[in-house]
Amino acid sequence: MNVKQTLLSSIGQKLLLATSGLVMFLLFLIPHMGGNILFLFGPDIFNSYAAHLHQLVPIVIGIEVLMIVSITVHMVMAVRVTLANRTAHDKRFTQKSSQERSLAAKLMPVSGGMIFIFIVKHLLDFTLGVAKDQIALNGHMVNDVYGMVLAKFQQPDQMVFYVLFMVAVGFHLSHALQSSLQTYGLYVPREGSKIKLASTLVAIGMAGTFAIIPIVAFIR
Amino acid sequence: MSEKINITLKVWRQNRGEEGRFEVYQAQDIDTDASFLEMMDIVNEGLTLAGKEPIAFEHDCREGICGCCGALVNGKTHGSHEQTTLCQLHMRKFKNNEQIVVEPFRAHAFTVIKDLIVDRSGLDAIIREGGYVSVKTGSAPEASTTPIKKELAEAAMDAAECIGCGACVAACPNGAAMLFTAAKVSQYALLPQGHPERTQRVKNMVAKMDELGFGNCSNEYECAVACPKGIDVKNIARLNREFIKASLVK
Ligand code: FES
Repeated sequence: MNVKQTLLSSIGQKLLLATSGLVMFLLFLIPHMGGNILFLFGPDIFNSYAAHLHQLVPIVIGIEVLMIVSITVHMVMAVRVTLANRTAHDKRFTQKSSQERSLAAKLMPVSGGMIFIFIVKHLLDFTLGVAKDQIALNGHMVNDVYGMVLAKFQQPDQMVFYVLFMVAVGFHLSHALQSSLQTYGLYVPREGSKIKLASTLVAIGMAGTFAIIPIVAFIR
Repeated sequence: MSEKINITLKVWRQNRGEEGRFEVYQAQDIDTDASFLEMMDIVNEGLTLAGKEPIAFEHDCREGICGCCGALVNGKTHGSHEQTTLCQLHMRKFKNNEQIVVEPFRAHAFTVIKDLIVDRSGLDAIIREGGYVSVKTGSAPEASTTPIKKELAEAAMDAAECIGCGACVAACPNGAAMLFTAAKVSQYALLPQGHPERTQRVKNMVAKMDELGFGNCSNEYECAVACPKGIDVKNIARLNREFIKASLVK
């Protein structure tokens, strides 16, 4: 097997899927969540965080490039694996799935697709080509990111959209985290696995934290 | 105490290359001590006497060790998820007047040959890629010349329990043969005799598995529930490790 054959083998593709997913989780999702939480502390803190982020442009661009690569790899591999699996699994008329297969595992392609739609909308909402109002902060003029987010989530349909799609993130992560570890060869037991429990808890925690922002903004 | 029960059998009938269909048969006065295959024998005798073609199914040892038998019974591989092969499943597990639906093990890589018999030669093809040690070692050596840790020996024996029945493939939502391949790779990876060919073995067996159209594992663990021998997904993790290690060495 040369490198290409290795990477495009069944296990190779799954390793690429797991790695690109983990890169997004560690380098993007976690920092992003950390930043978002600052919204809860009011306009000054959140706007100053956004302004600081602007000063870190080289790092931010680096991460963005990494994100684009990861998303591309993740999607290409996900589509390849899903299509191959559709073919490999013949229709069974009477098969009953055991309790083993979780809903999250079954819905991976659906939640993954939803997350992609979400990312596109999220970028259009807050990043790409959005003119931001200016606001004074400690004598400087900065972008009023806080006001922009607040205005967005005052609209009930937007708030509901964001919250719903965070459910997809939660579902996706709960299977993804434990499954990627098993793919790396770290044994995740079938029953009573602490890793499975931990990935469910992390998934719920993260999705919940992300979902709190639109809800709080809506109420404010 | 055994009793007699009546069963309605709904069985998949198919000739190679033709469309299949379910057909319904009555199995009367079946002793609850009979095995599932014995019940099938009785039904087949009736069919033969009536001038009809008996239901084709595979079997050999009928004691749960050869891996020949197997079908999806009431939606479960081998008819139960209790680590039993179909030949070791007894009719006492069923109720009087119950309808039992029997379907072949299905996967893209397992084409139906006839009725409940599917072509599982793909699993043999994977074995041919390295499920053996190529050096002739003669007769069994003195056991203490190569000390092996108890845990390793036990893990290797656990993996070697795989009888290659294909239930894991038929239960997998992706039609993957990962648990099978993992068991075969593990049984050698764990013992010193398997080490010299370790790298090539895992690469070749995985490549064959992919080539034959088995699916990709998505760690849903249905295979381990279905396995009549209780092969654990620990072996899949080990297969993944073996594969990663093999890919890193030149
Ligand atoms: S006939 Fe041998 S395992 Fe069932």
